[in-house]
Amino acid sequence: MADHALPGATKGEKGGERSRIGRGALIGLAPLFLFLLVFLVGPIWVNLIESLKEPGGSQGLQQYLRIFGDSYYLTVIGQTLLFGLGVTVVCILLGYPLGYAIARAQGAAKAVLILVVVTPLMVNVVVRSFGWMVILGGSGALNAGLVALGLPKLELMYNWTGVTIAMVHVLLPFMVLSIASTLETLDRRIEEAAMVLGAPPAQVFYYVTLPLSLEGIVTGAILVFTLAIGSFVTVLLLGKTATMVLPLLIYQQLTVSSDWPFAAAMGITLLVLVSFVLWLQSWLRGVSAARGER
Amino acid sequence: MSGLPRSLVVYTVVMALFLIAPVVVVVVAAFTAGDFIMFPPSGFSLRWFDKVLGDPEFITPLWNSVRLGVMATLISSLLAIPAALSLIRGILPGRRWIEAFLLSPLSLPTIILAVGLLFFTARLGIGDSFVSLLAGHVIITVPYMLRTVLGVYAGMNREIEDAARVLGADRWRTAWYVTLPIIRPGVMAGAIFAFLMSFDEVAVALLLTTADTTTLPVSILSYLVYNYDPAVAAISTIQIAIVVVALLILERAFGIRNVMLTSH
Repeated sequence: MADHALPGATKGEKGGERSRIGRGALIGLAPLFLFLLVFLVGPIWVNLIESLKEPGGSQGLQQYLRIFGDSYYLTVIGQTLLFGLGVTVVCILLGYPLGYAIARAQGAAKAVLILVVVTPLMVNVVVRSFGWMVILGGSGALNAGLVALGLPKLELMYNWTGVTIAMVHVLLPFMVLSIASTLETLDRRIEEAAMVLGAPPAQVFYYVTLPLSLEGIVTGAILVFTLAIGSFVTVLLLGKTATMVLPLLIYQQLTVSSDWPFAAAMGITLLVLVSFVLWLQSWLRGVSAARGER
Repeated sequence: MSGLPRSLVVYTVVMALFLIAPVVVVVVAAFTAGDFIMFPPSGFSLRWFDKVLGDPEFITPLWNSVRLGVMATLISSLLAIPAALSLIRGILPGRRWIEAFLLSPLSLPTIILAVGLLFFTARLGIGDSFVSLLAGHVIITVPYMLRTVLGVYAGMNREIEDAARVLGADRWRTAWYVTLPIIRPGVMAGAIFAFLMSFDEVAVALLLTTADTTTLPVSILSYLVYNYDPAVAAISTIQIAIVVVALLILERAFGIRNVMLTSH
């Protein structure tokens, strides 16, 4: 794994030969750079401009005041963040053992496990949410099974439970792969050293393995959280009006209410939330790097 | 699985079932003989596949998705491969920042990209929203392509390139005859991955497709909202089959673990 883990691993390049390539590097980078400038930065910029439009034709922060002055929109933002947090915590708890198993498995078992984790990741979110509708619905597979066993039916669709189950399913592979990647690169001799020195397995895990895999957990958690607060298809299909989240509200403002400036302001709000989380990640990295140097 | 505690093995099997359950349920429900989506299905028949394969309401979006995915992947490769080679070979001030910018679409919620592209299209008066749709899909796929190629190229023995240069090949000949053949597995893996990402994308497609350009996920979504019958399970099964075939090719050609298990 280590041989092509990180592009950053190649920074120790020799000078001389490379310096001639400066101009070639620009030629290679320019097309992608310009493309992203036009079709990524451009739209976000237009989005920002749109969000500053006020009904009278002037420019200002009125759309943002509308969001932050209304308890409904504040509730939706709070719900979105709590939902993201809940999904992230469940993914860490469910995903860690699975990531551990993948990192430690050998040969065919490992290949099968990776395939099992990656396949749902590649199957469309719409299709997966649909699968959960079939399982969790009022007369779905799960309730049919409960009824057959003489147990009462469960209400799992059109509430937070169902949305959370389906969203955890959608995002769990990201967490598992992130944790497995970190555990793969962990030097097992450190664990063996702890064991040789007499630490019981639980202590080896708590004091050695877990701290050393923290980076994978953090990377996975940030990824899962940002994806959870940014996606709306699962909530659209398995939720109802009470389970409103910010991205779904944006979608509805655009398609149902056609209130573009307001939708734009909510989009920028979502972008700021996501950027804050990403900043938090790089800040955490900085802190742990500084601690490592001491 | 030997060497792992038994409880972990049991847990892993349970989680594997959880992960594949919704996929299996959809596939099984598609083969029902009845008129309703049920699990377990009532009877076995291929009637819903028959209906779907003869219905332009599904077949047109399927082809649209394939075409869009192929175009997005080609453009992504053309943009990402030279960029990846330059990033690693060149001496660039602020290389880390450039790389972060080029990979930034990975962290951007697609709804924001979708909304932005919608405004952008309207403001610039790009009459044909397909251009924006394609651009959106290139933005979504390009980081995957870039990351895979970066990974492979960083791991390759670059003394071979130096040897070619010493023997008189110029920069372009070296890139074409030496570098590209070596990084080809990475390019292939990245391309399949990029195609799958585009093939699955919903948010951008939902806001930017028209009746003529609608993609498969969008048509499945709108069909689900209005009619909930086994036809949607059948077309979903076809979508799943395409994905599984692509993944098997990826596994045979390159090994999925090499694409998925890279710390980033």
